[in-house]
Amino acid sequence: MAVRTGLVDPSETRVAPRHEEAALRLAGSLPRLVVAARRASATVVHGLHGRRRSGTGENFWQFRRFSAGEPVGRIDWRRSARDDHLYVREQEWEAAHTVWIWIDRSRSMAFRSSLSPVPKIERAAVLGLALADVLVRGGERVGLLGLTRPTASRNAVETLAQSLGGAGSDDSGLPPAATPIARLSEAILIGDLLAPEAEIAASVGNLAARGGRGHMVMIVDPVEETFPFTGRTEFHDPDASGVRLVAGRAEEWRQGYAERLARHRAALAEIARRHGWSFTIHRTDRPATEPLLALHGRLAEAAA
Amino acid sequence: MSALPLAFLSPWLLLGLLALPALWLLLRLTPPKPRRVDFPPLRLLLEVAAKRETPVTTPWWLLLLRLGLAALIVLALAKPVWNPSAAAPAGSGPLLVVLDNGWAAAPDWDERVRSAEGAISAAGDAGRGVALVATAEAPRDVGLATADEARERLRVLQPEPYSADRRAHLPSIERFLAANQEAEAIWIADGLGAGEARPFAEALKTALGSRALTVRVDPTGSARGLAGADNTPAAMTVKALRAEAAGPETLRVRALDLRGRALGEADAAFGVGAREATASFEMPVELRNDVARLEIVGAGSAGAVQLLDRRSKRRAVGVVTGATADTAQPLLSPTYYVTRALKPFADVREARGQGASAAVESFIEQKLPVIMLADVGALTETARERLRGWIDAGGVLVRFAGPRLAGAPEDGLSPVRLRQGGRTLGGALAWETPQPLASFAADGPFAPLAVPGDVTVNRQVLAEPDADLPDRVWATLGDGTPLVTGARQNKGMTVLFHVTADTRWSNLPLSGAFVDMLRRVVDLAGSGPAPAEAAPAQGAAAAGQPAQPAPQGPRATLPPTRTLDGFGAFRNPPATAKPAPAEGRAFATFDNPPGLYGPVDAGVAINAMPANAALARLDLSGLDVGVSAVVVAEPTPVAPWLFTAAAIVAIVDGLIVFLLGGGAALLARRRPQAAALALIAATLALALSGQPGFAQQTAQAPAKAADAFDERFALEATLATRFAYVATGDFEVDRIAKAGLEGLTQSLAARTALEPGAPIAIDPAKDELAFFPLIYWPVTADAAQPSPEALARIDAYMKQGGTILFDTRDGFTAGGGGPEGAALKRLLEGLDVPALEPVPRDHVLTKAFYLLDEFPGRYADSPLWVETLPAADEREERPARAGDGVSPVLITGADLAGAWAIGADGQPLFPTSSDERQREIAYRVGVNIVMYTLTGNYKADQVHVPALLERLGQ
Repeated sequence: MAVRTGLVDPSETRVAPRHEEAALRLAGSLPRLVVAARRASATVVHGLHGRRRSGTGENFWQFRRFSAGEPVGRIDWRRSARDDHLYVREQEWEAAHTVWIWIDRSRSMAFRSSLSPVPKIERAAVLGLALADVLVRGGERVGLLGLTRPTASRNAVETLAQSLGGAGSDDSGLPPAATPIARLSEAILIGDLLAPEAEIAASVGNLAARGGRGHMVMIVDPVEETFPFTGRTEFHDPDASGVRLVAGRAEEWRQGYAERLARHRAALAEIARRHGWSFTIHRTDRPATEPLLALHGRLAEAAA
Repeated sequence: MSALPLAFLSPWLLLGLLALPALWLLLRLTPPKPRRVDFPPLRLLLEVAAKRETPVTTPWWLLLLRLGLAALIVLALAKPVWNPSAAAPAGSGPLLVVLDNGWAAAPDWDERVRSAEGAISAAGDAGRGVALVATAEAPRDVGLATADEARERLRVLQPEPYSADRRAHLPSIERFLAANQEAEAIWIADGLGAGEARPFAEALKTALGSRALTVRVDPTGSARGLAGADNTPAAMTVKALRAEAAGPETLRVRALDLRGRALGEADAAFGVGAREATASFEMPVELRNDVARLEIVGAGSAGAVQLLDRRSKRRAVGVVTGATADTAQPLLSPTYYVTRALKPFADVREARGQGASAAVESFIEQKLPVIMLADVGALTETARERLRGWIDAGGVLVRFAGPRLAGAPEDGLSPVRLRQGGRTLGGALAWETPQPLASFAADGPFAPLAVPGDVTVNRQVLAEPDADLPDRVWATLGDGTPLVTGARQNKGMTVLFHVTADTRWSNLPLSGAFVDMLRRVVDLAGSGPAPAEAAPAQGAAAAGQPAQPAPQGPRATLPPTRTLDGFGAFRNPPATAKPAPAEGRAFATFDNPPGLYGPVDAGVAINAMPANAALARLDLSGLDVGVSAVVVAEPTPVAPWLFTAAAIVAIVDGLIVFLLGGGAALLARRRPQAAALALIAATLALALSGQPGFAQQTAQAPAKAADAFDERFALEATLATRFAYVATGDFEVDRIAKAGLEGLTQSLAARTALEPGAPIAIDPAKDELAFFPLIYWPVTADAAQPSPEALARIDAYMKQGGTILFDTRDGFTAGGGGPEGAALKRLLEGLDVPALEPVPRDHVLTKAFYLLDEFPGRYADSPLWVETLPAADEREERPARAGDGVSPVLITGADLAGAWAIGADGQPLFPTSSDERQREIAYRVGVNIVMYTLTGNYKADQVHVPALLERLGQ
């Protein structure tokens, strides 16, 4: 049986409350995500947000037992004087951070093959919204690149989903050429990233122009990776109607396609590396928790 | 029209082939439709594609395949026909098909039908009407029908067993041809000239005029026939006939009796150019008389069958004369003319060198059906009695008058009472002239014969004018006196010729009628009453007009009993068969198909061809007719094959497209799954097919085990001499029996030369008993009566010399009348048990090894019962007696096994009722019993040894 491929009807791919629920379910499985803040102490934007953990901050967080080897200066002698133990006073860690999420809404994102349980757009939306939820619960401000302002409200996911659903499609396949993100902000690009490498490089370069960090998540349908086509096949590009290719024996193209795809990915990875970004590839037949965990890790990585 | 025997019924459709080039272009330009897929990373692919894209066209061979497919369909639509029926006249008017279906058409009837069907189908395909005439059927109007109707009629046609009377069909055929001016004719002839074939062809051609007449006839062969079966004195002969004066040919003729059993076979060898050959069956006359049917083996037609009736049977006739045998002057012998007259159809046996009575008795001994007494006066009383009995049993006694008969007393062996003394006509003292033969009685056997005018009678014996005389007269003289009288007596018959068998009293023996009369009389033998279905009035009329030469008008007839069908097989008479004249017919007709008419043993047989028949080819020379073979290749429509080929090509094309479209790669990729699927399917199939087989096996296993001879048991039982005990099902009893026999076995091994094997438990219902010399059967109170099969086995065992020792084990408690005794009675009820007695003092059991007075077991005072010995001879002083063989039954109540029983340690298991001495005696009893069963009465003979030695010493 041949692999079936096709575009999912737009009404189905439209971001809706079910994505929200899926995203919340997904996010619920992760601990709160705290975005690392470089030089957090220096960040004073729109007030501080307690991180609800010990760290550098001004509010009292907790007393904890002094452990040997710590600098003696940390001992809170007033507290220590009340009983026989030594205590260290810890402050709550306070930092503020803005994360910009971009979800590809191009036509090709509606693609789904029979090897995959969901279309790419669905996986991208769920992933993005879940990330947003995790971030908001962690106290970060999240915004959709080019669509919404950053928000830290509790119903941020709902807001984001609504604005995502109302945004319609955008066939550019690239983040909007908006102003570069702030230096301490982070951008998360979720999409199939099939635009020409040069355009992607320009777009990413633009975003990172002020030193903002970012992550690229490439959502791939398994078919796009394995190229399981055989025989006489006519390929259509969903993004650019009219562009088509008729292959006499599709299996003969597999090798060339695989090489080309590897080059494309290498180019993307190189773009990410150049700007200090990360690059993740996610296949839609894999569970959505994988990229979420990876992103979680990457975002939290900088915290140390 | 072409070299190939191929024609197209719709040739204009072949124009479709012109469209093939267009199709080629179309196919050239239209590659197979690709599979359409959406593929987002097409941009990447396009960069790869730029250098890889090659033009896609349909491969040339696929193109060729598809063009071939299209061509096949076009050809098939054009309705091609292989072997177009060119033999059918190519006219446009109706077609008259004349089909011979006489017996000569039977051997290749199927081919004829196919030939006719081919002609009819061809005509039907051409839209022509068809008229079908079967020449052996009753003539009827020839009507035009459609091909389907004609085929329908053709299908029910069967070859008829007689020769076709084609001329009868001519009027209706001529009417048809006159009414249908366009009509043409085809005649599928049987190839024989019989049945007015040539005139028929001429008339047909005349009626057709300039229109075409095609005769289909087998150019080289035609049916073979049999005719003229004759039971000559030496052998039974039959003529085999053929129509062609061809090379040598041998036909095998088989003789069968009425029930279809083959009696013999003979070859009829045609010489070169001969059209007739004779097959001769040299068989004993008794066997020849049983022949009811001769047939050419494998001929399969009614003409190749000769049916024989009683007229073909040769009867042995014993001729006895009262005159002194004077062989020196045969012409003066009273039997000379009779013998000569009988020779053509009967075997005559004459009495040589013995008296009349002895001759009669010897003929009766030989079971002759007919005995002729030529002027035999008196017979001995025994001969008369035997003769009467013989007549009552079916013999035909024919007497000729003469001086001795005229002077003999009434003996009851004549059909009528005779007046004493003869009567002379035309003599010197007589006033009447010699009388001619005037008439035959209409109800007598001579009725069909013509009255000869040249017979005169000078002297005769006269019958008493009894009331029943007129009924018995078969032939009368001119003055009304009887010449031949006959009367039935039970199954037999007596016939009296009132004249002598020689020429002294009349010239009847010199006339040809004499032969016929004798033949008819002899035919009466062994048959029912002379068939007389003619109206009684006819007889009266004949009697009233004695001068009438022969009775005219409706003759006696015989209804058909079994007739032949066209293939020569017996069948029930068809509805069209009518009764045949009593004297039969020379050959069969529509009304009288060949077969047997009348009663089975008294009827007549009618054959397809007269006895003097000869077969000849149908001569068509000089006639303007088209002649073709009967067997023409049938037109075969080719279209179905073409369509099939097209379908196959289409399937191949589909497969190719599938493979070109990557199907192979797909299959290869799916191979593991496919393999798994195939494996599952195969396993499932195996399981399904194996299941019933296994069930069968398990079902059969027990049955097999029950039937099969248990070899292992047999070996076990016979490799050593063993004693067996019957397993009662009571564990304790069985244990004691086993232990007891073990103890006996041990003591036997210790004391005697016999070393038996370990005892064995048996079930008399299942196990073979014959292996054991002695079976110990402990009887329990609840022992059930063995099944009849088991009883039969036990009975057989006892009859064949085995001994069963029944032990009721109740000697201590009941003394023989307890429940065990009742159980024993039940056991023995079904057995043939001889009379029993307690062991007498001189029984060999008391001396077989030890000398014993009593036979105790665990309990003393329980007698041992054995088969009663024959009473002792008082005079004989013998210390030991034994009957022949060994007593099959020994019954005791002493619980011998209990006394013998030893445990694993060799110690006795049970105490005896008395002391250990009793146990010792019990062992001795056991030893004696074993010796008795093994050696029989040997020990009884041993007692003679001193006497024998003494005798030898002398």
